Amino acid sequence: MSQQAREDQLQRKAVVLEYSTRRKQKEKKKKSKGLSARQRRELRLFDIKPEQQRYSLFLPLHELWKQYIRDLCGGLKPDTQPQMIQAKLLKADLHGALVSVTKSKCPSYVGVTGILLQETKYVFKILTKEDRLKVVPKLNCVFTVEIDGFISYIYGSKFRLRSSERSAKKFKAKGTVDL
Amino acid sequence: MAGPVKDREAFQRLSFLYQAAHCVLAQDPTNQALARFYCHTERTIAKRLVLRRDPSVKRTLCRGCSSLLIPGLTCTQRQRRCRGQRWTVQTCLTCQRSQRFLNDPDHLLWGDRPEAQLGSQADLKPPQPLPNAAHPIPAHLPEEKV
Repeated sequence: MSQQAREDQLQRKAVVLEYSTRRKQKEKKKKSKGLSARQRRELRLFDIKPEQQRYSLFLPLHELWKQYIRDLCGGLKPDTQPQMIQAKLLKADLHGALVSVTKSKCPSYVGVTGILLQETKYVFKILTKEDRLKVVPKLNCVFTVEIDGFISYIYGSKFRLRSSERSAKKFKAKGTVDL
Repeated sequence: MAGPVKDREAFQRLSFLYQAAHCVLAQDPTNQALARFYCHTERTIAKRLVLRRDPSVKRTLCRGCSSLLIPGLTCTQRQRRCRGQRWTVQTCLTCQRSQRFLNDPDHLLWGDRPEAQLGSQADLKPPQPLPNAAHPIPAHLPEEKV
């Protein structure tokens, strides 16, 4: 009996023969949802030629920004507490604002004034009146933004985020605000 | 429905970015990189905060490279017939990505549906591209949809 049982076992056992898996032809190209590397290669950022586009071309953008901020705060200058304005500015967009660098660890950056064209993770790109594109890092810099008589200081070291992330993040007062 | 405050600010920011991109392109038609940057920022914000946008606004932004699509300038728009229906095909010139929209005169009612009318405090059409001077377009939630 045991031999029969053994034979049974042997006969019913599944024997694995050679197999070969055919991989599906290399996952198809993703439906271009995030062509990140290729996107950047297309130079989505600025190129140097627009430097010839004068400062005057961006003045309407600045006007638009002013209207936007006025609309956001809902009041010009009366008795609105600065706290509210600051809180709104944190979430607001700064493209097109007139910023200037007041304090900085590197003295050559101090005094740079112009319209903010681009804001990336660590850097501001500012176009000065002389049509020069200045790339100012946010680290250890204090920027001044002026709107309708309200002057706000922005500590760049705390702002090291992409502008889109900034509107999604809550800010905590942590650490010293020193250069 | 008033909507929570944070959303309103976010929507204002989105609409500002959209108008800024139009403004930049109006000033200088050759510089599309900056407009693309603004639209990319816009898309990231909307993605991060999960904001719904009006389809008429979404159609003017390319999904692949997120540039602002203006027919004649940044994209080509053609009308084609496919299977007996008329489609409008928009092709972005930078990433060669095409979008197809069904163009049927009998079916123009989706914008007038009652749910859209309830929530339309603002106009449902996208803000017009600005000519040289900045027009005082109120940046009031053109994209909010109930």
